[in-house]
Amino acid sequence: MALVFVLSVAFGFLLSRSGAADFDVIQQMFLFESPHMYGLLAVGVGLTAPGLWLLGRYGRTLTGQPIQLSAKPLHGGSLPGGLLFGVGWAMTGMCPGPILVTLGEGKAFALAALAGAIAGTWLFGANYVRIQRVLKLPNLTTGTGAG
Amino acid sequence: MPHCAERALPPHEDWMILHDLEPWHFAIAGAGIALITLTLQAVGNRALGVSTGLEEFCSLVSKAPYFGRAELRSHWRLVMFAGLICGGLLSSVTSGAWSLSWNAGMLDTRLHLDHGSKIAWFFVGGLLTGVGTRMAGGCTSGHGIYGMARFQPGSFASVLAFMASGILTANLLWRVIAP
Repeated sequence: MALVFVLSVAFGFLLSRSGAADFDVIQQMFLFESPHMYGLLAVGVGLTAPGLWLLGRYGRTLTGQPIQLSAKPLHGGSLPGGLLFGVGWAMTGMCPGPILVTLGEGKAFALAALAGAIAGTWLFGANYVRIQRVLKLPNLTTGTGAG
Repeated sequence: MPHCAERALPPHEDWMILHDLEPWHFAIAGAGIALITLTLQAVGNRALGVSTGLEEFCSLVSKAPYFGRAELRSHWRLVMFAGLICGGLLSSVTSGAWSLSWNAGMLDTRLHLDHGSKIAWFFVGGLLTGVGTRMAGGCTSGHGIYGMARFQPGSFASVLAFMASGILTANLLWRVIAP
């Protein structure tokens, strides 16, 4: 847990200083006014991909356990969920990580976004069985996937 | 902005990122994100993903069966939430001075919302983010970075969907409604 905390502080600091938690930088990304965020994502994914592959193939944790990689199968929520999230991201200029980072930076409007995100998550979870039938989501114990 | 020409970002009239601080180069930031993702997996044996933390938060207060899933029991993502807030705080403090702010850049200069409308705007955007990321099973970190790096079909579909609707929404907002 100490490791998670330290890495998250570094992640939050990085998101803040890279512009990924900045309203205008996110709008410039969506408007194709700047390649900054696309470059950031491309480098991030490009370096993570071989790293995770190597870890999965040869890696062991410090205690000798096999590395457990997470899978993200396609399901009925992948597309409609993504579509809803995109509207929210463009409106607030913040995806979930940057909502918290922006809050830490002292930008008070992030609190309203966080309240909305928690309310939205609760709304989704409390109505899971109903939504599951319409969208053909995975069963309740599996959920839509961690991420 | 003296160095903007050398960077991928065009000069901008009003950086609000922490007292007009210029963003890091995208390659440095991208490499940093990869390093954090890989360390979390190699040492912590956990997959990077922020939005499931919203469910962990709900599991503290809601009795809905969906929030009773085994995945949410360790609450490690709530520790990550605390870390992300502290990271933003640290960035702000070391960039000059931490101060409470209402400044939302373009949103203020183009839409001129009063306080109440601004709170409602961010709440609704957050609501869509909450419902959407949980329906899709991930956000920019879990799908955009981790899932795409593992060539996962669910992640490619979600990223395609949220980039498309984000591009559409931003263009509608800033090129049609409030140009």
